[in-house]
Amino acid sequence: MTSCLEFRSLFHAGTNDPALLEHLRSCDPCLDYAAHLDPDVMFRAIGGENLVPPGGVDAFVDDVMRAVHVRSKEDVVESHHALSWPRRLAVAATIAASVVGGTLVFEHERQPLPAAIQARAIAPRPVVAQVKLTTKPVVETYSSTSATIVEVPSESAGDTTKIVMVIDDKLPADL
Amino acid sequence: MKRVLILLTLCLFATGVAIAEPAGDAKALNVKTFQFKYKDADKAAAIIKQLMSPEGSMSIQPASNSLVVTDRAEKMKAITDALAAFDTAPHPVKLSLRLVGASRSETATKVPAEMRDIGAKLAVLRYNAIDDLGNANVDGHEGQPTTIDLQNGYRVDFKFGEYDPSSDSIKLDDFRLSKVEKDQLVQVYQATLNLKVGQTLIFGATKTHGQRAIFLVFNARR
Repeated sequence: MTSCLEFRSLFHAGTNDPALLEHLRSCDPCLDYAAHLDPDVMFRAIGGENLVPPGGVDAFVDDVMRAVHVRSKEDVVESHHALSWPRRLAVAATIAASVVGGTLVFEHERQPLPAAIQARAIAPRPVVAQVKLTTKPVVETYSSTSATIVEVPSESAGDTTKIVMVIDDKLPADL
Repeated sequence: MKRVLILLTLCLFATGVAIAEPAGDAKALNVKTFQFKYKDADKAAAIIKQLMSPEGSMSIQPASNSLVVTDRAEKMKAITDALAAFDTAPHPVKLSLRLVGASRSETATKVPAEMRDIGAKLAVLRYNAIDDLGNANVDGHEGQPTTIDLQNGYRVDFKFGEYDPSSDSIKLDDFRLSKVEKDQLVQVYQATLNLKVGQTLIFGATKTHGQRAIFLVFNARR
C-alpha cells in the first residue's frame, strides 16, 4: 500500500505505475494533486489505454457494483421519504377540512331562515282588491225531500234582498 | 396511503353522522294536548285532519273536551295555529225576524206602511194581500238556542250556528216553524239556513197551486 507521501514523491506526469494508480482510486486529495500535475491521469486511472483497469477487473467491477447498490438504496430511501408524516397529516387535515367545510355550507343552505326573515318573505303584500267571498246555499237542509226549492232572481245587481221559495205539498193545509 | 384512506373514511363517517342527526330530529314525533274552552274537540279534530302528516295521529278526550295530537314538529306549528284560531269566543249575532202571511186576492188590499218594501217584493210572486204575523229582534251568539213565540200561535225555534268568515254568513241550525192548532204544536217545516250578514232573506213556503203562502223575513247582523 503506497502512502500519500510516497505517492507525491514518486508521481510524475504520464506515469503508468500500477501501485501509484491504485493509490489514486482510494485517495481523493492525491487524486486532486495528480490531476493538477497531469490532467490525463483520470483516464489512465481507469485504464484508458489498457483494457484492464488499475487494481484489476474484479476490483473495478466490485467498485461499480457497490456504487450501483448504494445508488439504488438511496433511491429507495428517497422514495420512502417522499411524503413525510407531517405532510401526510397536512393532506389528511386539508381533505377533512374540505369535507367538513362543504358539509357545513350544505347544511347552512338547507337550514330554514330565521322566523322573522321568513315571515317578512312570506308576508303577503297589501291586497288592493277585496277578497272574494264564497257562497253558501241559503237552504242547507229541508225537512221534506219531495219539496222544491226555488231561488227568485234579483231584480237588480245591487239588490240586497234575496227571495227563496219552498213548494212543499207536505205543509199543513191551514198556513 | 393506507392511513390517508382510513383518515378519509373516518372523516366521511363523521360527516354522515353530522348530516343524519338533524334529519332524525325533524322526523321525531311530538305529542301535544289541546283543551278547548269554547268549541268542541270533535269539531277541532275535523279541522286539523287535513293539516296532519301521514305519520300523525290524534285522540279525542270528550271528558275534558281536549284533543291529543301526535305529529312531526313542523306540522305541529300549523296545527297549533289552526286550533288557536278555531277556539275563539262565540261571535255575537243580531237577528231581525218577521213572519208574513201572503195570498193572491181578486181585489187589491191595503198593505201596511211598514211592510211596503216586503209587499213590493212579494208582488213579483203575485201575492197582493199580506198580513203581519209578528216580528222579533234577537241578540244572541254562536251556539245559542232561541225560541220566539209570534202572533196567531206561530212559534220559531232555532240555534245560532257558527259564523263563517269565508262566506260572511251565519247558520241557523235546526230552524223550525210551528203552529199551535187545537192546543197542539204542529211543525210547519224544519230547515237549516245560511243567512248572509247584512242581506235581507225572504223565505217563503207554499203548497203546489196554493193561494196562500207564509214568509219569514230575516236580517242578520254582527
